[in-house]
Amino acid sequence: MNNNTTRTGKLISIQDSLVKARFYGNVIMGETANVIVDGKSLQAEVLQIIPDPKNADAGIVEMQVFEDLTSAMIGDLVEFTGKPLSVLLGPGLLTSIWDGLQNPLYKLAEQNAYLVPGMKAPALDDQKLWDFTPSVAVGDSVTGGDTIGTVPEGRLKHRILVPFNFGPCKIESIIEKSAVNITEKVAVIVDSQNIKHELKLAFRWAVKSPIPFKERAIPSQTISTGVRVIDLLAPVSYGGTVGNPGPFGAGKTVLQHSLCKYALADIIIMAACGERAGEAVEVFKDFAELEDPSTGDSLMNRMCIFGNTSSMPVAAREASVFIALTVGEYYRYQGYNVVLLADSTSRWAQALRERSGRQGDIPGPEAFPMDIPDQIKGMYQRAGADHGTGGSLTFIGTVSPAGGNFQEPVTQATMDATGGFWGLSQDRADAKKYPAIDPLVYTSSVYDSFISWTDRNKMLQTLNDANGIDQTISTIGLKKVPVEKYVLYQKGLTIDFCVMQQNAFHKLDACTRPERLIVINEAVQKLIDSTINFAGEDMEDEEVKELVKARFDELRQWWKDWNTSAQSLDEMAVLPQKIEQFILQEEYAL
Amino acid sequence: MIRKEINRISEVGKALISVEGNPGVALNHVVELLEAGTNQSLSFAKAINITEDSTRFQVFNGTQGLSTQTKIRMHEVPLTAGFSYNMLGRSFDGIGNVADGGPEIIFEKQISTRLDTLNPTVRLVPKQPLWTGIPMIDVFNTLVKSQKIPIFAGPTEPYNRLLSQIAQGAQADVIIFAGIGLKFDEYHYFKEQLSQSGNIDKTIMFTHLAGDSQIKGLMLPDVALSVSREFADQGKDVLVLLTDMTNWSNILRNVANYQDQIPSLQGYPGSLYSELAKRYEVAADIEGAGSITIIGATTLESLEDPVPDNTGYITEGQFFLDNGKLKLARSLSRLKQQVNGDTRNDHRPIMTAMASLLADAEKAYEAAEVGAANDTFSQKLLRYREDFIANMEEPFGEPIELEAALDKCWDILKRHFEPTETGLSKKLIGQYWN
Repeated sequence: MNNNTTRTGKLISIQDSLVKARFYGNVIMGETANVIVDGKSLQAEVLQIIPDPKNADAGIVEMQVFEDLTSAMIGDLVEFTGKPLSVLLGPGLLTSIWDGLQNPLYKLAEQNAYLVPGMKAPALDDQKLWDFTPSVAVGDSVTGGDTIGTVPEGRLKHRILVPFNFGPCKIESIIEKSAVNITEKVAVIVDSQNIKHELKLAFRWAVKSPIPFKERAIPSQTISTGVRVIDLLAPVSYGGTVGNPGPFGAGKTVLQHSLCKYALADIIIMAACGERAGEAVEVFKDFAELEDPSTGDSLMNRMCIFGNTSSMPVAAREASVFIALTVGEYYRYQGYNVVLLADSTSRWAQALRERSGRQGDIPGPEAFPMDIPDQIKGMYQRAGADHGTGGSLTFIGTVSPAGGNFQEPVTQATMDATGGFWGLSQDRADAKKYPAIDPLVYTSSVYDSFISWTDRNKMLQTLNDANGIDQTISTIGLKKVPVEKYVLYQKGLTIDFCVMQQNAFHKLDACTRPERLIVINEAVQKLIDSTINFAGEDMEDEEVKELVKARFDELRQWWKDWNTSAQSLDEMAVLPQKIEQFILQEEYAL
Repeated sequence: MIRKEINRISEVGKALISVEGNPGVALNHVVELLEAGTNQSLSFAKAINITEDSTRFQVFNGTQGLSTQTKIRMHEVPLTAGFSYNMLGRSFDGIGNVADGGPEIIFEKQISTRLDTLNPTVRLVPKQPLWTGIPMIDVFNTLVKSQKIPIFAGPTEPYNRLLSQIAQGAQADVIIFAGIGLKFDEYHYFKEQLSQSGNIDKTIMFTHLAGDSQIKGLMLPDVALSVSREFADQGKDVLVLLTDMTNWSNILRNVANYQDQIPSLQGYPGSLYSELAKRYEVAADIEGAGSITIIGATTLESLEDPVPDNTGYITEGQFFLDNGKLKLARSLSRLKQQVNGDTRNDHRPIMTAMASLLADAEKAYEAAEVGAANDTFSQKLLRYREDFIANMEEPFGEPIELEAALDKCWDILKRHFEPTETGLSKKLIGQYWN
């Protein structure tokens, strides 16, 4: 790889973002290259190498270019770099907002309000000084992934690591505690071949090579996301994976934003992949004024955003998710709990589809590449918990199924690849029942979480029963439904309306923490277990049902008010009491 | 300046031509086609696919009448659009040529039509409501400045009427009308409406009629949006009316097929999503400059069709028109939460409550079809549904101010329900029920 002579090629074909170039000598699969168009250098990636039918001494390389190729001509120069697509890892990642190739967007905006092809800026601030404290001494043995010192990054202790590909080395020199920027040398290590390597605060890592785990473990600790239906029925653990499909308008974005705001984690990485720019902007402009639920700092201090939004070059979309994953793995290795929100993995898959179509590959279902399920699985597999470092990377990917049809290839592959599945339902969204996660269409691989598995199943059973009765009512009418079934239906309706539905825009209701969930669960279990006796002596069944409905309407109204008002422990404790009263009142009223 | 010329076209197809070899044309650059002998200009064309063996062009005026001897003159620049304030009040075709028979325009500048992405950091989070006087929009799905939102409607629905109704009260400095694949009467209707409402002097119309050259239709949004963007960059609030993007997508499909691209769904190219997004994403409220709001029309047979489906994932909601009514159930303004929290305190709750009751009412309506809605509450819901459709989902009529529209909502609820049945809080009931 350490070629001193620049290897070059010349363009022989240009079609959208796909180009072919003729080269002599050697080209490495997957390496990056710069295509020089009209004096500007555009980044590209090698996809395929084929023989040249016109020239036995030459070869043809097929590449995707990450920027708009307007004005490119046959014969334009290609310079191969020898390096695969990589991401710069080091202090300063947090609070940053990049495009899909780690160009910082605020820096680019200083050059031009529009993203013009060929614009570049350093991925991390190379002037900023960091207080480096060494943690090893000259002569110490280190190996890839070991910590040689730390710098404070906001509230976090950012460990400076030996790049992961190093074998056993010795520290030959290391600087004293001092302020340095990411371009300065902080240590020199010698490997077993006696070759010296300089270490800095930051290093590059290839995005398609997963950063290893120290000791991979099964995710076990539940994340408090603040979203009731998730934390009660479909919880996710630190290091887990979730697919979140939904037709447009079902509330994926609002859910993602809720997770951004309320999920308890050290770091949130957002990969805005092929989605609306406005939504990413809302996150980094408005959320910056919100408080991090665990520290009270600005929410942005725990975030970084990769924004390859829908109008940006498609080829960079694929890269953006891998870059975000690699940054997530890097912080996991430092022992932090990282949540990666990728919105949306369907756009990522579509980018692969566009590319394979241009390359003339034989298409699979719905013209997606044949191996798309494997690619999706491989991506989700990079999430996980690490007992060795104490960190985790949780991957929550939204899926935007064409036509809202969950049978399409990307949704199906995602269901197969993830531990959890939050299916958003069009019917619930139409009825403005948000979050529109259908309690009956999801899976979770987490068992006991904030409430016991038994309690959870009882809750689910009631919702299921109520749903069945609801269907009976719509097909044969309320009159044919016995009173006790109607009561069960009302119980389910109450749990749905007061617990599963949540107002993401109400200050208090938007986020429910475990202590509150436990109180709610107590109330729900009481309600489910109660055998409310409505057998009035001289009342017709129809009158009883009307009475039942009126009483439950009142309860629901009260409970909804409680959701948006009860704050202190005492106020919270009123809920189970109210349910007890409600049960008693019904027993004695008749 | 002497421009390089190519003397032989090797292939003439539908909308596309090719020449053999590599004449030195760059990607997306423009060439001019000239009749052999007379040198009369026939059309412009754009280089879309270049290899060392052949070069392919999209011909703006179509390929009818072109021969292998038609000359190609190279212009060595990408397509630009002319810009001038004198364009206000005038009509143009899809590539920015005067199309109203009026005098030629001397442009102040030529602008790029590449539609580079606006750096997200210079976007403002949209926070300014655009009031329409239509209760279904103002109360339930408030429109916001810089929003991009289409009207979804069947081909026979009055979507153009709705579009023009929204435009009439538009709080915009400039209106850009971008019509693709229009029937002449639709174009005429818009022109009349814009004249009657006194908006014509701040309007520029870009029109592609059904039957005009496909490539001109394909280029039209880029030209219209580039001009819109120039106005916005100069501090103007611009409203773009984009109708009908299904026609545009169908042209995109045709041209992709002429180019032998592998189709993904229903013959559309795999890039449909990205291509639509590139245009809609031009909508923005720009820091230190103006704004662009895009209201589009997307005709459809079914919501699952690739065009409305992809559009729904790109735009910030949609207005769904069915049987002449603006339907609550499938309509959505994604930006409404940015502006409906600071209006009247009952705005958000009543919106949610009425929507939830309407969903129940739709279920009752289905049950009624099989005679299963026989209880008292179902009967209430059915009456409510009828009332709601007649009084709330009607988009055409006298404009209503927000407060009056909210009062109207309470009136409807009071006509049919007991306070507790609405799911609204005691506090709001106390404040508004009587």
